[in-house]
Amino acid sequence: MKHIAKVLTLSAISLALGACSTGLDKSRNLGNPAVSGNTLAQQVCSICHGEVGSNVNGNSVNPTFPNLAGQQKDYLVAEMTEFHEHTRKDPAAQDMMWGIARNFTPKQIEELATYYSKQPTRANPNPVNPALAAEGAKIFNEGNLDKGVPACMGCHGSNAEGNGPIPRLAGQHQDYLYKQLMAFNSDEMVEEKENNNAKDDDLERPHGVAMEGIAHGLDDHQKHAVAAYLQTLK
Amino acid sequence: MGGLALAGSMNANAIPIYARQTGQACVTCHLGGMYPQLTSYGRLFKLTGYTMGTRPNLTDLEVQKDAPPISVWLQAGRGFTNKNNAASQPGDTQNIQAISLFSGGKITDNIGGFLQWTGGNTGGGYNFTVDNSEIRYADRNLNNGNDLIYGVYVNNHPTVSDVWNNTANWNVILMGFYNANAAAQTPQPFLDQYGPGQSEGIGAYLYKDTTWYAEAGVYKSFTHGIATTDLTAGSGSVFIDPSPYYRLAYSKDIGAHSFEVGMHGMISYAHNGSWGTTVNTYRDTALDAQYQYNLDPHYIGAHARFLHESSSFAGDQVGTTAANGSNYLNEAWLDVSYVYQAKYGGTLTYRNITGSNDLTLNALNTTTGSPNWQAWIPEIFWTPWQNLRLGFQYTVYTQMAGATSVIPGQTLKPSDFNTSAFYVSFIY
Ligand code: HEC
Ligand code: HEC
Repeated sequence: MKHIAKVLTLSAISLALGACSTGLDKSRNLGNPAVSGNTLAQQVCSICHGEVGSNVNGNSVNPTFPNLAGQQKDYLVAEMTEFHEHTRKDPAAQDMMWGIARNFTPKQIEELATYYSKQPTRANPNPVNPALAAEGAKIFNEGNLDKGVPACMGCHGSNAEGNGPIPRLAGQHQDYLYKQLMAFNSDEMVEEKENNNAKDDDLERPHGVAMEGIAHGLDDHQKHAVAAYLQTLK
Repeated sequence: MGGLALAGSMNANAIPIYARQTGQACVTCHLGGMYPQLTSYGRLFKLTGYTMGTRPNLTDLEVQKDAPPISVWLQAGRGFTNKNNAASQPGDTQNIQAISLFSGGKITDNIGGFLQWTGGNTGGGYNFTVDNSEIRYADRNLNNGNDLIYGVYVNNHPTVSDVWNNTANWNVILMGFYNANAAAQTPQPFLDQYGPGQSEGIGAYLYKDTTWYAEAGVYKSFTHGIATTDLTAGSGSVFIDPSPYYRLAYSKDIGAHSFEVGMHGMISYAHNGSWGTTVNTYRDTALDAQYQYNLDPHYIGAHARFLHESSSFAGDQVGTTAANGSNYLNEAWLDVSYVYQAKYGGTLTYRNITGSNDLTLNALNTTTGSPNWQAWIPEIFWTPWQNLRLGFQYTVYTQMAGATSVIPGQTLKPSDFNTSAFYVSFIY
């Protein structure tokens, strides 16, 4: 009985698919492993991470969504894997990226990471406060040594271009960067409570250990400042 | 009951259908979680035919676990009207109850649906009917900077297709005016009076570069098939010959801001009372605009709509359906809502109707027959978690039947119709 029902549904669906579907290359199906990373990037990711009327995908309009264009490929693979595995769990990640990454296959992750790492970057069009950005430049280049914060450029590169698992930050949205610094900051506070033995489950970005103390060593104003500066970089 | 949409849940295994389909939280598609207001992403989700995400595992093709595509919306509340009067006048308290079931979502890579049934008691006894429902076919071509979304839909109510929450159907007021008796005293443009399941329509739309939008549809009353309620306008049932609906819009997102301006309208050819009667024509033309700010923790939504209606009545109905051979109505609708952290929010709505006097259509004012009325609707709400919303809404009538104090021919003032309502809205 169940079998017959299945056969019937299958034939109905394939009829419908045959008659009405435009094929996998324009699919928005997040559950079908046969849909390529490039197709997903265009049909799904671009709505949040892209800009219309531009043939470059990965420079987002709303700062809720980070730019992905020109991001380090290794870092992209790591983050998509973290969304898929629910290890990265700051609120925006849970709300918006867990679902997107729910059925990612390693092949799709690889294709998506390749696709976005090759998209050309562009200057962030949103304005920042220049005085704030100037303060941020100093932190980026020299760190905040009183609090033991090393220069960001030491890891992220002199132009914040990133390297492998260390993300590109240049041109990234100020608001997004600030929110990530806040996530690392709250992870540091969890670590302090747990004598630096916090479980991954208790941390919003458990793979960001390198960033925890750094974020904590910047006060709120300094976090805004360095984020503003990074947004101005090209 | 106008708009709503599906919300998500903390529990990834048992969440409303669209949230289950995409795995995303309410705030992804609804501005600050204030359903039914859609974000830019929510609009695209709808315009691409509800096809983004996964679908129930019918073909063993899908990777995710199977779950039934059903969700439920419960609303309960209590409304209080300023003054209790004789039978046809506002009652002092009313229970507000409604339950909706949803189904739909992704069917194929190009076809998806939104299906809602609502049962409720908003004062006039229980009923359970088909609410907003539509099936869409959509496709999106993207290459080298060209972006074109196009689609067709079948639905049961003009403006079900609205993605800018600037129609009576999908407006920001979750609980309607909630003064069932007062509603009869507040004339509305014909387009605002279409209810779900009262007509059937087909339409087609284009969205170019997520900037330029054009849509055309045609609606008529059901002549056969599933039983639905009749469209009621003014005092009784109305039947619609094929009537055109259209919408044009320009939209743009800049940073966290999203803008839309456009126009929409409908020409309704209506038989009053039964199919056999002569046709009255209502021409509704609206200018509409939307502004949104969408960046956690602040979310702002604002709408403006200016609608002009000119109606003309068949010669044999002048004197019975309407006193005049032709009338007009102007509607101004303004609203602004704000929510902090998608939790603590408020909405203020202003609605103003002015039009030509007609003693038959607008019988409340027995001296002038004025349709004019004006209301302010402040609301505050709290969304402790995304599936649950608690609110308090107050409707202040500053003008009714053309009067700002005692209405000629009545003992009532506009403020006697003022209504407050507490409500709980739960969606799962
Ligand atoms: C509904 C909007 C939305 C869609 C669609 C979406 N994303 Fe995201 N994405 C986000 C948000 C919001 C964040 C930031 C999450 C956070 O703050 O933790 C994000 C973050 C990311 C990041 C991490 C970036 C960084 O700098 O750490 C990657 C990688 C990513 N998304 C890839 C994708 C891919 C690939 C797709 C398509 C398959 C996609 N996203 C679709 C909203 C979206
Ligand atoms: C010791 C090396 C190191 C230094 C120094 C460093 N970072 Fe990082 N940063 C990292 C790594 C590694 C990650 C990736 C973390 C992860 O995978 O979750 C990262 C991630 C980030 C992110 C998240 C980016 C995204 O797209 O989500 C921000 C923001 C950031 N760093 C800012 C800074 C700032 C500002 C400074 C200087 C004050 C700084 N970093 C100094 C190694 C470093």
